[in-house]
Amino acid sequence: MPELSNMAPAPGRTNHNGALRLAVVGHTNTGKTSLLRTLSRNPHFGEVKDSPGTTRHVEGLRLLVEGDTAVELFDTPGLEDGMALLDYLDVLAPPAERLDGPSRIQRFLDSPESLGRFEQEARVLRKLLECDAGIYVIDARDPVLAKHRDELTLLAACGHPLLPVLNFTHSPEQRIEEWRGALARLGLHAVVEFDTIAPPLDGEDQLYDKLALLLDTHASTLRALKQDIAQQRLQRHEDALALVAEMLIDIAALRLVSPPEPDRMEKAAEQLRGLARKREDHCIDALLKRYNFRSSDFPHRHLPLKGERWDMDLFHPQALKEVGIQVGKGMAAGAMAGATLDMFTAGISLGAATLIGAAAGGLWQGADKLGRRLLGRLRGYQELTVDDAVLRLLSIRELALIAALERRGHAAQGPIDISALMDGREEALRKEKLPEELLEARATPEWSTLADDYQPSLRRTEAVRRLAGKLARL
Amino acid sequence: MAPGKHQGVMPKNFDNFWLAETLRLRESLWGPLEDASELRKLQSAPGTFEARVLARARMLAEREGMAQTLAQWRSVARLTLLLFAGAAFLLGCGAAAGALGPGGSVNLAPAVTALLGLNTLAFLLWLASFLMQGSAAGSVLASAWLKLTRKLARGPDAVLLPRALLELLSRQRLQRWAAGALSHGLWVLALAGALLTLVALLVTRRYTFHWETTLLSPDTFVTLVQGLGRLPSLLGFPEPPAAIIRSSSGPSTLPDAAHAAWSIWLIGMVVTYGLLPRLAALAVSITILKRRQSTLTLDTTLPGIVELRERLMPASESTGIDRPAPSLTTSGLPPVAARPGVGTRRALVGVELPAELAWQGPELPPGVNDLGIVDSRPERRRLLATLHGDAVEQLLVCCDARQTPDRGTVAFLVELAGLAQQPRLLLLPDDASATRREQWLQQLMNAGFEVEHFFRTRAEALHWLAGNPGQGGSADDGDAGPQAGQAFSGGKGGGHDA
Repeated sequence: MPELSNMAPAPGRTNHNGALRLAVVGHTNTGKTSLLRTLSRNPHFGEVKDSPGTTRHVEGLRLLVEGDTAVELFDTPGLEDGMALLDYLDVLAPPAERLDGPSRIQRFLDSPESLGRFEQEARVLRKLLECDAGIYVIDARDPVLAKHRDELTLLAACGHPLLPVLNFTHSPEQRIEEWRGALARLGLHAVVEFDTIAPPLDGEDQLYDKLALLLDTHASTLRALKQDIAQQRLQRHEDALALVAEMLIDIAALRLVSPPEPDRMEKAAEQLRGLARKREDHCIDALLKRYNFRSSDFPHRHLPLKGERWDMDLFHPQALKEVGIQVGKGMAAGAMAGATLDMFTAGISLGAATLIGAAAGGLWQGADKLGRRLLGRLRGYQELTVDDAVLRLLSIRELALIAALERRGHAAQGPIDISALMDGREEALRKEKLPEELLEARATPEWSTLADDYQPSLRRTEAVRRLAGKLARL
Repeated sequence: MAPGKHQGVMPKNFDNFWLAETLRLRESLWGPLEDASELRKLQSAPGTFEARVLARARMLAEREGMAQTLAQWRSVARLTLLLFAGAAFLLGCGAAAGALGPGGSVNLAPAVTALLGLNTLAFLLWLASFLMQGSAAGSVLASAWLKLTRKLARGPDAVLLPRALLELLSRQRLQRWAAGALSHGLWVLALAGALLTLVALLVTRRYTFHWETTLLSPDTFVTLVQGLGRLPSLLGFPEPPAAIIRSSSGPSTLPDAAHAAWSIWLIGMVVTYGLLPRLAALAVSITILKRRQSTLTLDTTLPGIVELRERLMPASESTGIDRPAPSLTTSGLPPVAARPGVGTRRALVGVELPAELAWQGPELPPGVNDLGIVDSRPERRRLLATLHGDAVEQLLVCCDARQTPDRGTVAFLVELAGLAQQPRLLLLPDDASATRREQWLQQLMNAGFEVEHFFRTRAEALHWLAGNPGQGGSADDGDAGPQAGQAFSGGKGGGHDA
C-alpha cells in the first residue's frame, strides 16, 4: 500500500514528470524573453527592452496542453562574458585533466567566481545542466563572432542538445546565411528561423518539429503540443470571424428614426455614426483580447492602429475610396455622411426565399413594430441606416486586423499597422453585392443589439454563423 | 412550461447558463467586472472552457447579488404564472357557461364555436409556425406573461434577466418549446375549466339542443356532425344517430335521450378537439424541452465570451524566478590610466568589427600602425602582448555600434585603454542608431571611460590619427553627445582622408 500512495500522481498540474524542460539561452539582447513571450502568446511575461542585461534571473514558463504541462521553458540572463569564462575554466580545469564537459561546468559552478564576476553565466549554465535541451537564440543581425563560438562551446559542454533559433530574420541587416554556415561548422545543422516580432505562421511547428528530431523521447509530447497549437489557432480564427460577423450584423441592422427636419436628421446621422464607431471599438477590443494583445498598449484607439487609413474616420468618403470601395451616388457627404435614407424597400433586394423567411419572422415577432414603422412613415419620419460602403470598409478593416494579429508576435512593441494588409484584399467585399445576411439584417432592425427594441432570434444567430462562414471563405 | 414553473424539469445548471448570459449582457453593456480572485480559484482546478465560463458567471453572480435577483425574479414569474393559470381556468369556465347560456335551448353551432373556436385557431397557428423554419415562434401568451413579470420585477439586473432568458432560449432552440409549453399549459387549464363547467352544468341543469340554418341543407349539417363525431366516437363518445340530428333542426320536441346524446357529443368535441391535442402538444413540448436542457451547450463564439478564453484557459503559466538578481555593480575595473609613453607611434585596432566596417589601407594616414581586427581569444592575447611590449601613444579602438555592448567586450576595451597613452574610441558606422550609441556610451562610462575618449565620426578620428592632436576628443564632443553622431551620417571619411 505505501508504494501505491507513493506512485499516486501529485494533484493537479504539479505533476509534470512528462514535461520537456528547455532552457532558452543566448548572447545578451538577442530576444530570449521575446521568444518566450511569442511562444506563450503572453505579452506580460518577463521584461523586454532593446538593451543588454534586461533579464537578470532565470524565469520559468509552462506551456499547457489541456491544463497539463507539456513543455517547461526557462528564460535565462544573456551570456556576456563567455571568453573570459572560458579562460577561467582553463585555469580551473585545465584541458590536460581531460574532464568531460559537464564535469568542467560543474567545477566552475562550485567555484567562487560563479557567484562573483560570472554570476549571470553561472545561472545560465546551471539551468541548462538541469534541462533536457537548450534553445540558443541568435540575433541574426549580429555578425558571427568568436565570442558567439565560445559561448556555444560553453553551452555544448553542458552535454545537452542545442537548437539555434535565428531571431530578427525579417531585418534587412540579417546575416542568416553567415550564421547557418558558422553553425554548420560547429555541428549544429538543425536551425530554426523564428522572428519573434513577426513569426512565420508555421514558425512554432518548425520549432517543435526540429526539437522533436533532437529529442526523440519527447516526440509525442511535442506532437501533442503542436496539435494543440494548431487547434487553438483555428479556434482563434473562428472566434474572431464570429466577432466581426456579430458586429457587421449589429451595424447593418442599426436603424434610427428621425423627423424629417434637416437639423434633426443631421443629429440622428451623428448619433448613427457614434453608435457604429462605438460598436467597432468594442469589436476591436474583443479581437485584441481574443488574440491576447494588451489593450493597455492601445490607450487611444486611433493611435496604435496606425496607417493613414485607420486614422481616417469610418464615415469619411475618402476612407472608402482609398480601399477601392465603389461609392454609390446615394452615399451622402457632410453632415449626413455614411447614413442612408432607407426607402422602406430594403427587402426588395433580397432573394425570394430570404424575403419570405424574413417577413414571416418579422410578422411573427410583432406586427405592431411594422405598424409603428408604417405609422412613422406616414407622418413623414425618415429612417437612417449605415451606408453599404461603410459596411464594406468595416469588413475589410476587421479582416485586415485579424490578419495582422495572426502575424504579430507577442514580443512586438510597435503599433499595429494594417494598411498593407488592406490592399488587394477581399476583392469580393469591395465590388460584389453585400452578403445576403447583411441585406436581411438591413431589413430587420430588431437584430441590432444597439437598438432599444433588440430581440434575440434564431434567424439572427443563423445569419451571424453563415456570415462568419462567408468571411472565412473570402 | 415557464422556466419558473420548471425547476424540477429544468436541470439545475439551466440557472448557470441563464446567469452566464445575464453576465455576458451586463459586461458588454457596462464593462467587465473585476474577477482576478475568481480566475485564480478557477485555474486551480481542471475544467473545460465552458465549465469555467459557467463557474465564473456563478461566482460573480453570487458576489454581485445577481443570483438572488434571479431567485426573486423567478418567484415573481411563478406568481405571474399562477395568476395567468387562475385566469385561464376561470375564462375557460366562463366560456363554457356562456356557450350554454342560462338554460333552455342551446344552438349547437355557436356553442361549439364559443367552446373551441379560439383554441383551434390558436392551435392551428402554432402548427403553422413550424412551416416557417428559422423564424422564432413566440407566443402571445408567453410574451404577455414575460411582459407582466418584467413590470412586476424591477431593478437593473431584473431588466437583463428576461432579456438573457429570451436570448438563451432562442440560441438553445428552446424558445418555441418553452413558449409552447407555457401556452399549451394555459390552454389545457382553460379547456379543463370549460370541460368541468360543461359537465357540471349538463349534470345539474336541463338543456335542450337544436341547430339552425338558412343557407345550408339539413344533409350538410348531418354530414358535418357525423364527420366531427367520428373521432370522439372512437374514444367512447358515441355520435348522435342521423335521425336525431335531422330532427333537432328548429324548436321541436325531442325525447330526453336525444338531448343526452347531444351533450355527450358536445363533451366529446371539447375533449377530442380541445383538451387532447393541447395535452399532446404540452407533452411534446415538455419532452423536447427536457431533452434539449440535458444537452445545453454554451455558444463560445459570442462576444463577451470569446474574450474570456485566453484568460480562463491560459496556454501557459509562469513559474517564477530562480532567485533575485544581485544588485548591479559597476565592474570593479580600474579607471583608465594613461601610461607614460615611450614611443610616439599611432595605432588603430578594430574590436569585433565585421569585415564591411573595417578600415581600408589607403584611407589611413601614413605612420599609423593598423593592428587589424581582433576577435578571438588568441587574437586578443596577441594584441595585449604587443601593446604590453611596446606602448602606443595614440590608440584608436573601433567597435561596431550596431551590436549590443556586453560586459566581456567592455572589459576588454578597458584593458586596452590601460595600455595606451591616449586611448580613443570610435563607434562605427557613423549613422548607427542613436539608442545603441547611447547604450555603448553608458556601458563604457560605467566602466571608467570619459566623454572625451569618444569620437563622433570616422572623419574626426582620422584627423586625429593623422597627427592633429587638438582636434580629437575635446569637450565639445561630449556636449554634442553620442546622438550627434547620427547627424553626421554619410561622413564615412569620404574625400576627407584621400
